[in-house]
This record gives sequence, C-alpha cells and structure tokens, in this order.
Amino acid sequence: MSCITNKSIKSPITPTWCPGCGDFMILNALQKALVELELEEANTVIFYGIGCSGNMADFNRAYGFHGLHGRALPSAIGAKLANHKLKIIIIAGDGDFYGEGLNHFISLARGNHDVTAIIHNNSRYSLTTGQSSPTTKKGTKTKSTPTGLVEKPFNPIASALVAEASFVARGYSTKFLELIQLIKAGVSHPGFSLVDVIQLCPTFNKKENHPFFAERIYDLAAEKHDASNKMAAITKAQETEKVPLGIFYQDKESMPYHAHLSQLEKKSLVDQWSAKTNIKKAIRKFR
Amino acid sequence: MKTTFTLNWKIAGQAGEGVMVISKMMAKICKRHGLQAFNYLEYPSLIKGGHQTGQVFASSKQASCQKKDLDILVTFNKNGFKEHQDEITSKTLIIYNSDAGPLDKKEYSHLTKNIVEIPFRSLTKEKTGSFNAANIAVLGASAYFLGFNLKIVRKIIRDEFAGKGEKIIKDDLLAFKAGFAFAKKLGQPLKQTPQVEDDQILLTGNEAVGLAAIAAGVQFYSAYPMTPATALLHYLASQQENYPLIVKHSEDEIGAINHALGASFAGVRAMTGSSGGGFALMAESVSFASMAEIPLVILEAQRKGPATGLPTWTEQADLSFVLTAGHGDLQRVVFTPGTVAEHFELTIKAFYLAEKYQIPVFILSDKFILESHQTMTQPELKHNHPRQNMIKSAPKDSSFRRYKATKTGVSPRSIPGQKYGLQLTNSYEHDEFGFGTEEITPTIAQVDKRTRKMDSIAKEIAQPYLVGPKEAETTFVCWGSTINVVSQLIHQQSLSKKKTVNAIHLPTMWPFPKKEFTRLAKLAKKLVMVEGNQSGQGERLISQETEVVFTDRIHRYDGRPFYAEDLQSWLEKNSK
Ligand SMILES: Cc1ncc(C[n+]2csc(CCOP(=O)(O)OP(=O)(O)O)c2C)c(N)n1
Ligand code: SF4
Repeated sequence: MSCITNKSIKSPITPTWCPGCGDFMILNALQKALVELELEEANTVIFYGIGCSGNMADFNRAYGFHGLHGRALPSAIGAKLANHKLKIIIIAGDGDFYGEGLNHFISLARGNHDVTAIIHNNSRYSLTTGQSSPTTKKGTKTKSTPTGLVEKPFNPIASALVAEASFVARGYSTKFLELIQLIKAGVSHPGFSLVDVIQLCPTFNKKENHPFFAERIYDLAAEKHDASNKMAAITKAQETEKVPLGIFYQDKESMPYHAHLSQLEKKSLVDQWSAKTNIKKAIRKFR
Repeated sequence: MKTTFTLNWKIAGQAGEGVMVISKMMAKICKRHGLQAFNYLEYPSLIKGGHQTGQVFASSKQASCQKKDLDILVTFNKNGFKEHQDEITSKTLIIYNSDAGPLDKKEYSHLTKNIVEIPFRSLTKEKTGSFNAANIAVLGASAYFLGFNLKIVRKIIRDEFAGKGEKIIKDDLLAFKAGFAFAKKLGQPLKQTPQVEDDQILLTGNEAVGLAAIAAGVQFYSAYPMTPATALLHYLASQQENYPLIVKHSEDEIGAINHALGASFAGVRAMTGSSGGGFALMAESVSFASMAEIPLVILEAQRKGPATGLPTWTEQADLSFVLTAGHGDLQRVVFTPGTVAEHFELTIKAFYLAEKYQIPVFILSDKFILESHQTMTQPELKHNHPRQNMIKSAPKDSSFRRYKATKTGVSPRSIPGQKYGLQLTNSYEHDEFGFGTEEITPTIAQVDKRTRKMDSIAKEIAQPYLVGPKEAETTFVCWGSTINVVSQLIHQQSLSKKKTVNAIHLPTMWPFPKKEFTRLAKLAKKLVMVEGNQSGQGERLISQETEVVFTDRIHRYDGRPFYAEDLQSWLEKNSK
C-alpha cells in the first residue's frame, strides 16, 4: 500500500489565501502530520466546510469531499459508518462548525464518531468578508455588527467537553511544530477529536494578531495539566485572559461509535456489499 | 371464484385501545383466506384518547381502498355511531362495546336495526384477569360474524404476539374464544368467508419501500422521525439484524441527508426520508447531491400541510416543492407510485437510477398509502443488483477523472479506499478531477454534462398507463396513491357492466413523460384531473409540459383520502 508523501499530497493548485493567513500553516501542519503518520493515501479522506478554510480542498491531492457550509460533519460521519477503515479528517471554520453546524457538532461529540475535526478558528466569517462569528469577542465591531457585537462568545473547548467529546485540544497556527503533534494525536485517537486551532486572519481580524497571542498563550503540558482529568480540563477551558494550548482532555478508554455496532464486527459496511440479496427474512412479517 | 366476495369491516375506539393492531390483524386474516385486502387507518396526532379507526375492505377481485357501506362496525363507544353515520346502511351490523355504558337502540334505529352489544372489556377481564386482550375478543366476535376459518385466525394471533411470551398468547386465545362464543349467542353469521390459495403479502407503502430498498441493496438509511415517514425508519431499523445495513437516527433532517450523502460517497447505497416539513430542511443538500453527483434515494412522505398542518392526515400537495426543491438548475427523478406493489417496484428502480446516473431520486408518496396495508403478489425473493458506473480499478498514472465529460454525461465513479482513484467530490463547480473552478469553459462543460444525463434517464423512467377499459366517457388522470381509489371505482363499474370511466396513472412526474402521456390523453373523450390538493399542482405541471387540456378537475384537501363512492357520485352528477 502506498502512503501519503510530501510530494503526493501536494495538489497542482497554488493556495489563494492572503499573505500571512494562518491557513497556510494549518495546511502545512496537516500535510506533515499525514506524512508522519504514514497514512495510506487511498484510505484517507478529508471533508471540508465552506469558508477560506474549506478552500484547502483544492490544495490537497487526496480523497476529498467539499460539502456544504456547516454540513461536512454529518457527511463525514456517514462516510465513516460506511467504511470505518477510512481515516477521516474535517477541515472547517469556526463559522461553519460552531455556527451553521452546531447541532451536528454536539451530536458528533456525543456519538464519539472516530473523526478528527481541525477547526480554523479566526473569530470571523472571513470568506464572506469578515462578519462576526460565534467565537468573536463581545463588543467587537464588524460589518455585520457596526455598533459592537452583543453576544458573548461561544466556548468551543468547554462545549466539546460537556458534550462528551473524548479528545479536545487547542492549537495555534503560528505554533507549527506543536500543531503537527496535536493533529497527529487527534488523528490517532480512537473516537472524536477536536483540534480547535487559533488561526490568524490578518485581513479581517487585525487586532488579534501574533503579538496579541504571544502575550497570552501558554502550554498546558508545561503547566503539568492532567489531560485525563475532565474537571481540570473544564476549568482550563474557562480561562479567557490567558490562552492555554495543547491537549485539554483525552479519554484513554474512548470507544468510538462504530465499535458499538455488531454489523461492523467483522467487516466494514462497504466490504459487506453484495450484488445479490435474498429478502426472505425481510419479507417474513408480511406473509 | 365466479361471484365476487367482499367484506367491509370497521372498528372505532380511542387511541390506546388496540384499534390499529386489530385492524391490521383483520386484514392479515383476509389475506390468509386468499383475498385481496386494504386496511385504512385514521388517527389524531396524540397518544391516548381521541377517536381512532381502522377499516378493512377485502375482496376476491379488487380491494385497493377503504369503502363506505359497512358490513360490520365495531365501536368501543357511542362516538362511533355519530362519527360514521354515512358509512352505516340498514344492513350494517353494529357491535357495540356495552362496557361503555347502556345503549338506547331506538336512538339509532334510523341508521340500522342490527345492533348487538358485547361487553368486550369485562368479558376479557373475566376470562383472563385483565383488560389487555379486549381487542382480541373483538376479533373473536368478528370472526364469528364473518365466518372466518378459525385455524387461520388462531395462527394470526400466534404470529402477531410471538415473542411476547406464552402467557400473552394464552390470554389472547382465551379472549378470542370468549368473544366468539358471546357473538354466537347473539345471531347468525353475516357471511361465510371463502378460502383460496394465498400467494400474497400484506404491507404498508412504507414497508414496501423498505422491503424494496433491501432488495435493491440499501446499506444505509438515516432519518429524523416525522409522520408519515417514521414507519420506514422503524422497519429498516428492525432489519439491521438481518442485513448488512446501518440505520442512523440523525440529529435533524439536515444531518440525516448529509449522513446519507457521506455514506453514498463512501460507496454504500444510501437513502433518507421525511415528510414535507423535514424534507424542506434538506433542500440545499438535494442541490448538492445533484451538483456533486452523489447517488441518493429520498422518500418524501406527504401529509396535510402547510407547516405542521394535520400531521396524521393525507394530502398530495408537495409535488411542486419536490419538483423544484434545491437551488440552481439541477437533475432529479420524481417517482409517484400508486399501489403498494408499485412502491416496491419503483423503489428498486430508484436505487438503480440513483447509482447509474449519480442523482437524487425521489419516491413521492403520501400518508394514505404509506400507512395503509395492502395486499400484493409476493415478489421474487432473490434480487440481483450489480454496481452501476463504478470503476473496478483506476489507472496508475493518477489520470482518473471523477467528472469526465462523457457523451452520456455519466462519469465513472471511484470510492475512497480504491487505489489511484483519488477525487474531490465537490459542491463548488469543478473541473474533471473535482477541483473547484470559476472558469467559463469547464463550468459550461460540467453543466452540460450533468444535463445530458436526463436524456438517458427519460428512457428508463416508469411510463404512464391506462387503467380500465380502452374507451370510456370520462378519463380520470391521477398520480401517486389516488389510482388506488380510482381503480376500485373502475372495478365496481365493470361489475355493473358500465364503461363510463377509465384512468391514466402517472407513476413518474419528473422527467415528465410528455410523449406517452400526450398519446394516452389524446385517446380520451373527457379528461378529468383527480388530485389530493387544493391548487392543482399535477395539472399545472401537465400544462407546463404538454398541450393537454382538462375538461374538469376534482380536488380534495381536507386531509381525507378520496372515496370511490364520492367519485361515483361526481360521475353521476356530471354525466350529460
Ligand atoms: C448555507 C450557507 N450560508 C451561508 C453561506 C455563505 N458563507 C460562505 S463561507 C461563510 C462563513 C465562513 O466563515 P468560517 O466558517 O468561519 O470560515 P473562514 O472563512 O473564516 O475560514 C459563509 C457565511 C454559505 N456558503 N452557505
Ligand atoms: S481573509 Fe483571513 S482567513 Fe481568509 S484568506 Fe485572508 S487572511 Fe486567511
């Protein structure tokens, strides 16, 4: 079987993001992680949301699914159930995943479907030219909130934790090497893994730039945070002044959704395909 | 059987009194006697109380809808007399559950003099120690008055309650016996139900769709409960133990359709279903399925709208919506099956077309037929449904083009896991590999490619057909479940040697079968559209697609199905 290589994963298309956009770093980190994990090219599928982030679909040469805004997630679950041998990664923005797709996100976390979501969290709807997103700070003035945003921001880390996600981490687009490690850990985790990535958007979120984050970020592991302790993780997730990075929580006993289905005990669903069906059992109750 | 045997039985009671179960068992008993049977259920949207009915019309010749003139009405309370006055004739036997209070028969003597009283609940309590099996005592009384073969009835009781434990079956048989014995003291049987060989099955439209989906190789069904599509979710969920099938109760309808699209992309045959309200939430994804060319079968189970409407009642008012749901110019097929047997047949075809042409295919049906039980000839057990337009292997040089602009418009499809088959399934306009594009040339090439598929599809859809005599004074035109009622009317007319009516049934509404419909319509003397909506959505489509003009139209939009009797009166009133 052939694994993904640095060369094989590059698409012929040049990225169209703005100079300095954090999406470049996330793309590179993802590609590096996939190569280092030695994933089989044929069995790796990336699902993309709609946004600047989702535009990554054209920059990877891989099996891909560029679905609808907010809906990459349920499609990814459907594909995983159809063939649980696939490694499935979701790329989406905070508007896509925490806004339009929120119900799916909660349901995905509760179900512990074995997919990894890498969320480009730039606190803006960037592709639609910079309106406020679910993670935008209260009071922020954007084109859709000219007098300042009234809502308080959505907390994806804390929400994922209370929704029973079994792997919750936060990365930062500028912390490239750490991000590779987080993505690898997420993809290797058997169950739902959320890697929320703070992503710089120099075009529409100028204030929250690298100097802004450089003052605030710190590494959870260096602080001896116990990632098996959910209450500690929830407490860490509430921090707003500082921005902790790393793995907040990982359930070491995580059992993914598909492992609960007796239909999938021996083979994946798609491998059980047969061109012949006998409806004898299905028809019995109608006789 | 030379003469036609018929029986028409109805039960009325409150939700929770077992009306639905017993009505289905009655239909099953008729089927086992070798009769055609139709079981129509009415119930309000609540769990306890309210007024519920089940009615079984069975015939040795044709039974494709509920009928008015009842042979027997069993009523658990006095409501039944009032609610069903126009279905009672002087010959109707009314069996009143006297546990509901004393009855002054004189009050009802203008309806019928044949009223008997049976205390079903206390009788059952006396024999079994509880009220639970009171509905089975009704079965006992009904079996006596209709002259059923008791072996068949006992077998049905055992079948129905198999798995619920011997104690329950024993009590049911006791209640059955008590109801039978009590009835025997009250009078003579009305009928002696004949018995011939039984080569049929009895199932609802929903169950026929589910059974056919299995026959067609469905491996994934995702849905969010909504009447009247819920029973399909239940049936398929129950079959997960028998087939390589996953049924996902999704978080909402948008989740449901996108679960199915993801599964289909990954290579399994997938389906979703809902009623109009839930389907409305899926519209964007229908557009996506068509654009990204992902095979999908969708059951759209109409109920009386708009909005939450009358949740447990019927209508045919989602046609215009299903024909246009989804933004942009997109490709789809809309089947509108009539009988339960046609639901089976067209669901199999839906899976075939969806995979072959990589498009969304709809089964557009309604509460009336999806929740009614109907007999159909038992279909073949063995089904062969090979893959369509899916590659076995891809060229090693990575030259595989998922959206290759072929002559027919159909491009071969790879699925994840296939070596060298890399592709991007894309909701953006794309080039042949699937990469997004905004260039003029590939955009036009892809739009034209997708559009071309409709030419081949048009040759494979189910064509409209004539029901009844070749010539008639009036030709009814209908789509979907309405043909069941119209066929019953045509059959009745044939019995009385009248040849005043025939019908054109449309099992496909999109792509509209212009040529064949126009040909059939030209043979008609007087065309009358019959459809279950207020605004004439089917007629509007026909006017848009053909030159055919209708003389008149009959619409029903009160949540109730058509009745053959009402169509008959309409004919009598409107014939010159
Ligand atoms: C159903 C739907 N609604 C709205 C849009 C328009 N839209 C495209 S991208 C986007 C927001 C993108 O924001 P985010 O998901 O945070 O991604 P980013 O561009 O910031 O990476 C919106 C609202 C759409 N494509 N589909
Ligand atoms: S708008 Fe922001 S998120 Fe989008 S490409 Fe530019 S910098 Fe990146």
